[in-house]
Amino acid sequence: MIGQDFNNWDLAEAYVANTLSASELANLHNRLSSEPEFATDFNECVSMLLSLDHSKKQKQFRNMLVQIHHESETKSSNWRVRTIPLRTHYLRTGAIAAGIAILTTLSTFSIVSHNEKKRSSQYSLLRRELETIKRSQSALIKNINETATTPVTPANYSGTGVALSNDGYFVTNYHVVAGADSIYIQRKDGHYYKAVLSTFDEKSDVAILKVEDKNFKIGKGELPYSFATSKKPLGSKVFTLGYPQDEIVYNEGYISAKNGYLGDSLQYRLELPASPGQSGAPVTDNNGNIIALVTGKESESEGTTYAVGAKAIVKLISNSDLNLKLPQSNKLGRMGREQQIQSMEQYTCSVKVYKK
Amino acid sequence: MYNPIDTEASLLAGLAKGNRKATEAIYKQHIRPIKSWIGQHGGGEDDVEDIFQEAMVVLYEKAQKDDFRLSCKIGTYLFAICKHLWYKKLQKDQKAPDILSTDAGMDDEKDWAYEDDLNVHTERETHYQLLNDAMEQLGEPCSSLLKAFYHDDKSMQEIAAAFGYTNPDNAKTQKYKCLTRLRKIFYGAKAKW
Repeated sequence: MIGQDFNNWDLAEAYVANTLSASELANLHNRLSSEPEFATDFNECVSMLLSLDHSKKQKQFRNMLVQIHHESETKSSNWRVRTIPLRTHYLRTGAIAAGIAILTTLSTFSIVSHNEKKRSSQYSLLRRELETIKRSQSALIKNINETATTPVTPANYSGTGVALSNDGYFVTNYHVVAGADSIYIQRKDGHYYKAVLSTFDEKSDVAILKVEDKNFKIGKGELPYSFATSKKPLGSKVFTLGYPQDEIVYNEGYISAKNGYLGDSLQYRLELPASPGQSGAPVTDNNGNIIALVTGKESESEGTTYAVGAKAIVKLISNSDLNLKLPQSNKLGRMGREQQIQSMEQYTCSVKVYKK
Repeated sequence: MYNPIDTEASLLAGLAKGNRKATEAIYKQHIRPIKSWIGQHGGGEDDVEDIFQEAMVVLYEKAQKDDFRLSCKIGTYLFAICKHLWYKKLQKDQKAPDILSTDAGMDDEKDWAYEDDLNVHTERETHYQLLNDAMEQLGEPCSSLLKAFYHDDKSMQEIAAAFGYTNPDNAKTQKYKCLTRLRKIFYGAKAKW
């Protein structure tokens, strides 16, 4: 039995390493054909040794790939490091600088802790209350003539939504449509479509709407943009399209933190101007991937906006039983910004909400 | 200028042997289009690294076979495998079972001809994983000894010194004892399933 006889392991190892002489090999083949029990044992050992050997080589290969990757990385970011010795006659300046640094740290700390208390009031949602806004009569008449579902009174609230498919699924913030009596999607050309709430997640503040009209179609073919669920690095340039007024508005900015309000890991923190009505507006990166939806902003600092990441949308879809497949690729990557906007415009809609 | 070192066949031969130069040449020549493609499909830098390295491993393993031949350019092959791996990852994240069969391959039909290669790859990775798991279960000193030999590429002399055996032959006997136990666990575990 090979289990007890270590000579057989020797034999198997030599066989795998291909170091057996011709006569030894002939001997082995003889034995294999005449002793079936030995043959099964031997083959099992050989196959295990081969696997061990292979996985060892593969591991080495993987290590080499990691090395190559790191070397090409350090080469591409070719920083030259210069060390400046700190001479004694700099010590005075150094000491003063250190003193100032301590002071600044202390005062920053006090600002921070002061703000912490007011945190809860600092987050404001970006849906828009519409009572005071009058719409032009001509548009109203146009709508009545064309669609029977045109709402007669102006909406109470509005946000922004973006198409998830071309047959009527839209995504927006849950707080835009929460408690709604009726929801309408208004496209850029002014047409209204009645929509219902398909599914939502209150915690991440994402809601999926479906236009009721079964013949509803938006755009030709697949959506031109895709959804990016992995977090983009700090500083990535982003832009957004939304409806803070009746006309579509473009804004741009960058990712300022990977986590959102109070460290919410589903959110991004952005430096991006946003106003009420832009809740649910798609935040898109340079490559044409929607990375998040504008959700809220910090009310005390201008320009800081929070956006819920596209991961929350994907999660919501996969937890629901909706027959909804997100686009896997986009056509925006190589376009200039103006073209990207033009392409995305027709998929970005205003969401009007009526409450009693 | 014709440079025989750069022909695809010789690059692949070098890759199969784990030659550093050939691997690096292939790596640097082909990562760029994949980087921009994954970028356009919702992936980040880390994703590019993971996916591309996995595709390189697939190619490396494929190149090990005696009857290996590539029916297309290296770049085409790597690109197709990366696409496939990326869609698989998306599918896994989204938990939607039918993305691959319907939408994903739309851009190019023949990209999906490499499904078999990936299935083989997945199977092999599972096999290696099971072998590793078995090695973890061995207990000491077997687990460390086999790992030193098969993972860290230590010679029997080094192992004898590190584990306190008087000579390499004693270490070798111990290694065989460990292999016997590993075999019991590995094939025993496999038989159960």
